Amino acid sequence: MRIVVCLKVVPRPEEVKVDLETKMLDRAGARSVINASDLNALEAALAYRDAHGGTVTVLSMGPPQFEPYLRVALAVGADDAILLSDRAFGGADTLATSYTLAAGIRKIGHVDLVICGEESSDGGTSQVPPSIAEWLEASQATYVERLVPGKHGTVHATRVLEDGKETVELSVPAVVSVVVGSNEPRFLDYDRWAFAQSAKVLVWNEKELSGDPQYLGLQGSPTAVAGLREVKKAGRRHETLTVTPDEAAARIKTEIERTRLARS
Amino acid sequence: MAATDEGGLWVYAERRSDGSSFTPVSLEILGKARELARQLSVELTAVTVGADGHAAADLRKYGPDHVLELAHPLLARHDGKAYATAIAAEVHKAHPSTLLLGATRNGQDLAGRLAVRLRTGLTAHVTSLELEGKDQLVGWVPGFGGGIEAGITCPVKRPQMVTVRPGVFPLPAEGPPVGDVTTVTPHLSEKDVGSHRVSFEPKGTSIDLTRADVIVVGGRGTGGNFARIEELARALGGEVGATRVATDAGWVDRDRMIGQTGVITRPKLVLVLGVSGAVQFTVGIEGAGTVVAVNRDPQAPIFDHADLGIVGDLGPVVESLLRALGED
Amino acid sequence: MAQASEKMVAPVRFDDGTWEALAATTNANLCFQCGTCTAACPLADNTSMRVRRLIREAQFGETDPFVWKCMTCAECNASCPRGVDIVGIVRTLRGRQWRTRDVPKGLPTLLWGMYSDGNTFRLPPKQRASWMQDVKVPGKGSTLLFVGCAASYDPRAQRIARSVATLLNRAGVEYQVLGTEEVCCGEAARSVGHDALFRDLQARNTETFQKRGVERVIAISPHSFDALKAGQSANGGPEVVHYTQAIAELLDAGKLGKAAEKGTVTYHDPCYLGRHNGVYEAPRRLLELSGLKVVEMGNTRAQALCCGGGGGRMWMETDPPERTGARRVKEAAGTGAELLATACPYCISVFESERGSEAIPVTDVAELIVGRTKA
Repeated sequence: MRIVVCLKVVPRPEEVKVDLETKMLDRAGARSVINASDLNALEAALAYRDAHGGTVTVLSMGPPQFEPYLRVALAVGADDAILLSDRAFGGADTLATSYTLAAGIRKIGHVDLVICGEESSDGGTSQVPPSIAEWLEASQATYVERLVPGKHGTVHATRVLEDGKETVELSVPAVVSVVVGSNEPRFLDYDRWAFAQSAKVLVWNEKELSGDPQYLGLQGSPTAVAGLREVKKAGRRHETLTVTPDEAAARIKTEIERTRLARS
Repeated sequence: MAATDEGGLWVYAERRSDGSSFTPVSLEILGKARELARQLSVELTAVTVGADGHAAADLRKYGPDHVLELAHPLLARHDGKAYATAIAAEVHKAHPSTLLLGATRNGQDLAGRLAVRLRTGLTAHVTSLELEGKDQLVGWVPGFGGGIEAGITCPVKRPQMVTVRPGVFPLPAEGPPVGDVTTVTPHLSEKDVGSHRVSFEPKGTSIDLTRADVIVVGGRGTGGNFARIEELARALGGEVGATRVATDAGWVDRDRMIGQTGVITRPKLVLVLGVSGAVQFTVGIEGAGTVVAVNRDPQAPIFDHADLGIVGDLGPVVESLLRALGED
Repeated sequence: MAQASEKMVAPVRFDDGTWEALAATTNANLCFQCGTCTAACPLADNTSMRVRRLIREAQFGETDPFVWKCMTCAECNASCPRGVDIVGIVRTLRGRQWRTRDVPKGLPTLLWGMYSDGNTFRLPPKQRASWMQDVKVPGKGSTLLFVGCAASYDPRAQRIARSVATLLNRAGVEYQVLGTEEVCCGEAARSVGHDALFRDLQARNTETFQKRGVERVIAISPHSFDALKAGQSANGGPEVVHYTQAIAELLDAGKLGKAAEKGTVTYHDPCYLGRHNGVYEAPRRLLELSGLKVVEMGNTRAQALCCGGGGGRMWMETDPPERTGARRVKEAAGTGAELLATACPYCISVFESERGSEAIPVTDVAELIVGRTKA
């Protein structure tokens, strides 16, 4: 099984600021981490490979600064790593991002399984995995917690839905997104550090990807950001009161309504 | 695709996994769409997909101008690829300006695929929707762990696609059935289907606190009286959670234990009752939207982690709260 | 000679790798299986933890899963007639389990948090200095107050950090803190057998110490104290002391006032301050400073009963029979003292949660002194 894991490097959510004057996102001061559910995706891929054979390639789209994070993935256990990097890919929304990742997967060739995290902590759209599936004309299963081989080269994926768990049989090639927390990501292996640091991380640019420019980057993005606003205040409100039980009940009820849970 | 709006507003009415009825969010969106359609002076179509055409009648109660049923045996259950194929074919015929879907898991599964098929822009799980100009929707989307909201538009491509979170819009009132129903049998073959169901295990057989929107947590201060905690959880449509003290004492099952060595939760609302708030517990509710805490001890560390904190005896506060909630 | 049994017995396979690893990192080969360690182990009473057997099995290449129950309290080390480093054996055995990923659930997540977030709670790095609130730290000099993850992030332990800073300020000590540049000392990694992550985190802090010109480190947690000391050895580096030692020195130099005598307190010796590092008297002198009479428990100083939080147990679920902390709180209450004082954030956390029906209040030594003496 040739498995590709799509990995995204995201800024730490609590360190991203909005410049309220320019309404622009200020990521400059924010440190980065590997998106949480992508670590689950990597673990799912490695566990599958360990149990059933194959190779795991991590693939990411981003600036050269993403490279160290791909090396962390190699230290965790991935076999190789590829970074899709070019100014032309920048400013991409999910359509353009998924197009670019799909182009990278096609260039890798003979990929059986693509595993992604369910959503990223920055954009949080969860659109990229099914979009990649469509670009590749592959089958898909989202919100998966378990992946096992089926008969005749198929894969059985158990999806976690609102009203229950559905196990589906997917023909290969397939794109799967995994639920955050669906497994416990193995910690990195320091014995692999030397390999991880010296391994060649392939970097593919626009020319090497030979994609259709109309679907790349900003120009390939049908959606646009019209505005930004800061929502959460830093930390909790800490409104602590000593009141009668009835007054307490009234305050709590107001709070409940404020969280917009009108329906039970 | 040129910006036309001949086809008006479309809403995808998603059926539940067991095919029994429509997801509440589909109806919520239908309600909002009715209002938008009026503002834009365009027609509203509810689109539904399934094996047969029985469901139309239900949708007519919510006032769409048209109901479009896509019926085919291969569409009996949700499959992103097959559903996207069927819907895309109709979109190409009718040219709607807008397509709204519920941000359920299957809804997202479909929307991501369909947007690429239609080469159009998709704005995912908005928490509010505004209208700008002639027919431009602006969807506000939380990002960066909820700290920032971005207003997203799809200026040129059509249909502009938006998925909407459950609970953003109210459930509309039912009215007398209106609108015509058209049933279409899409051209589909096996190769259009990407997945086949092997099994389905309905929810209710296992507890999943990680996905609960509302949690009521009981700790040492309950003195073991979890009946009241359960009642409160029921009244709020939420789940019961507990601290290590409560599970050790056997008051609740271990799988309800929240904390560093238990479950990490991200509810919209959590009521933390009779819990001191040791850090091993509070890391399990760090991601909660709103935290309300009740504790007898004004020094209890839990108040450092709460939005609203009540210092007082748990019993009387819970009784008063149950009364207040029962008044609706 | 007895007749050969009809039953066929499978041949036993020995894995020498485990024993070789132990011989390389510890003095395990000195063990002559006397079993004193089993008798000394506080877990032997209520569980099937048998330290002697654990070592014996290791000779055959087997790792007893009970190796994860160990709190690294070092009662075994203290009682072993041959001075075998049994805690070291536990750490080495755990280390080998990481290679096959045979580790308790939750530990990989703990390590990821330490690696990526620099703390054991998976909380944002930028919140690490929030304990400082209304306390002014001089922010200069070659002495560093190493706060540690618990005192940085746990609201209960943050009070300890503020109390220690207050006492240092009262005595006019010039010191700095690393604030959000401080990362976890890595003790939890060392305890659960992941030596590589421990050394990685050590290296990060050491680099910051060098940049800041640190020559002396005052640690709030005995775990940090022990870990920072262990990380030094070969490379030199700053002198590392526990806060009770630093404050005792100030007391000796007359830089802190005493309170009027009244009341009783019993003192619990944290394992990583007491048994592991021999610091027994400094905290007791500080308690006298607060005006209280120290009433000792039966199991005191080198015989102190572990709270149960060490050895990574703080980050693992502990079943009730294994909770030595509950026994310890009972023992403390049994002395009739008004207060239970200790000098470790983990012990404080465990005792606060295990107090149950025992009414005895739990306090840290520094916060007790701050509360009872004037500036």
